[in-house]
Amino acid sequence: MSDGQRRTLVDLLRAAFPHRTFPLGPYERTAGAVADAAAADPRLHALLLQGLSDLDEQRDVAFSQLDGETAGVVLRELTGTPFLTAVLDVAIVALYDDHEVWDVLGYEGASYDKGGYVDRGFDDLDWLPDPRIESQEAPA
Amino acid sequence: MTRFDHDDSDVVVVVGSGAGGGTLANELCRRGFKTVVLEAGPHLTGADYHNDEWKAFDQMAWTDPRTATGSWGIARDFPTLPAWIVKAVGGTSTHWAGACPRFKAHELTARSTYGDLDGANLLDWPITLSELEPYYDRAEIKMGVSHRHGRPPLPANNNYKVFANGAEKVGYRDYATGPYATNAEPYDGRPATVQDGFNFQGDKHGSKWSTLVAELPKAEATGLLDLRPESHVAQILHDSTGRATGVLYVDREGSLRRQRAAVVCVAGNSIESARLLLLSASARFPDGLANSSGQVGRNYMRHTTATVWGQFDKPVRMYRGETMAGVIADESRLDTDRGFVGGYYMETIALGPAFFAKFVAPGSWGPSLTEIVDGYLNTAGMWIVGEDMPQETNRVTLSGGTVDAHGLPVANVHFDDHANDVAMRSHAQRQGAAVYNAVGATRVVETPPYPSTHNLGTCRMSRRPGDGVVDRFGRAHDVPNLFVSDGSVFTTGAAANPTLTIVALAIRQAEYIATEYRTGSS
Repeated sequence: MSDGQRRTLVDLLRAAFPHRTFPLGPYERTAGAVADAAAADPRLHALLLQGLSDLDEQRDVAFSQLDGETAGVVLRELTGTPFLTAVLDVAIVALYDDHEVWDVLGYEGASYDKGGYVDRGFDDLDWLPDPRIESQEAPA
Repeated sequence: MTRFDHDDSDVVVVVGSGAGGGTLANELCRRGFKTVVLEAGPHLTGADYHNDEWKAFDQMAWTDPRTATGSWGIARDFPTLPAWIVKAVGGTSTHWAGACPRFKAHELTARSTYGDLDGANLLDWPITLSELEPYYDRAEIKMGVSHRHGRPPLPANNNYKVFANGAEKVGYRDYATGPYATNAEPYDGRPATVQDGFNFQGDKHGSKWSTLVAELPKAEATGLLDLRPESHVAQILHDSTGRATGVLYVDREGSLRRQRAAVVCVAGNSIESARLLLLSASARFPDGLANSSGQVGRNYMRHTTATVWGQFDKPVRMYRGETMAGVIADESRLDTDRGFVGGYYMETIALGPAFFAKFVAPGSWGPSLTEIVDGYLNTAGMWIVGEDMPQETNRVTLSGGTVDAHGLPVANVHFDDHANDVAMRSHAQRQGAAVYNAVGATRVVETPPYPSTHNLGTCRMSRRPGDGVVDRFGRAHDVPNLFVSDGSVFTTGAAANPTLTIVALAIRQAEYIATEYRTGSS
């Protein structure tokens, strides 16, 4: 994949998963994951090369030159194509498995090596009253 | 480590080491039976498990090929992954979250209680609740179930606080942090939870009951357990009188082995148990072993499920603490005025962002997905689990063209929702939304079913041999020394999560085997 195709892929991913709060790094790493998957899968590789090329033909300017809204519309038009489906299948796993994404979303990842959350806020929600923990019905 | 000879025909062979097989093995070993457990997957332990959803999935899940057909969403969204179960020592008891409701009396008489529903193949169980109750007691004590027999409740975690406050506001009364088979205090040599989450990923701490940490080590201590991981059973063998004589399995080196046996017990989870019986067809049993009724593989049930997420304008951090630690039981009541028969439970559930994004709206992308994921921190979650209707056409069969690494045809899982399932799911989603809206949700998201974790009914119990595959003790109607020892024996599914009942039935079955077969002879 050329540098240009790689940039197009990153822009595709930003249009497909538009998070204002995500930095560029996770999208770039996700593009890397798609490229790695393609390197191990000739069918995906072929779909990817042809699909990225086709993507640039959808409007008068290259995909990467489109504003966010138009890029989203272009992708919608490709819904269900083998190219887009295959890329998104890999990307949705890679993007949301990215630890920088976890930080942005407020997820803390592995906990066991930190002693779990028993002393680190498993019950720190304070905007509702503490509920009872035993049923008022007799057990079965 | 105990090893019995391949030609030792006194052993009991148990196929599978999960909730059914692992419990049965321990109960048999304690009664003096030489027991060989053949487990298709590797022997993973706490140190091996990952606090990482995808890594754990790749490590633990049964990802050998399967196929799916039918009108259920799974066939479209996850066509090669109809079920989400474990291939490792401990089976899916290493993945379960620990919810332990019992069946209710009417759920064991579903046909009599619900009547003749169009399209449903309902049947009463050949067991009553009063027969099961002593075994439920023993199972709960064995598993250290919270809220029962003096075991303390789990504390309220963040996800539960939202759930329980919502429950109270909509008028529910039967809600609690259990019963769950996870230690709030140390019990039975296992520690109290440190609220580390990742229950679905094996539970590194071992505070959750599983056969890996509870039953199999005890069985091992008797000196009578021969546990063979990475041993995939390909065929059950029988003699000219129609009695089982042992099994053929592929060992970890890829060699085909024969293990002789006095008794064979199948506990591979409903999909694999039915597949193995179908693969064991012979001249005498042309439609599959123990299948003179034609019911092997039929009446496949997977519970009526859904997930409801509530998003708020303040943080929840649902991932902190036990993955599931809350139950609302009010809707599990017998009340056919709701537009469906059967009941359902609501149970807290938490996913990390990796699984949340993948499963919250399968196939979705673009702003409709990202707006939901952006609210992850402020999200609370509940899982719906309710009774689904057995249907003859919901069925595990051998897949025509697809074979596994050993060349064995894989299972095809065919499923269509019954109209009753659809009505129940819709009611449950409304009620789930009401719970979260009652405490100020800014958005409610309804997620369709995940690949099945509760696989039931493919070798169901019946009083009459023509109606099912096994009798009231799980013994095959057609083969006197062949037993089925997992959730595939469920005549109907009830609303309850199945593990507690699988364990209770395994204890009862071991007792029966012990009275029928003398130690060391048969």
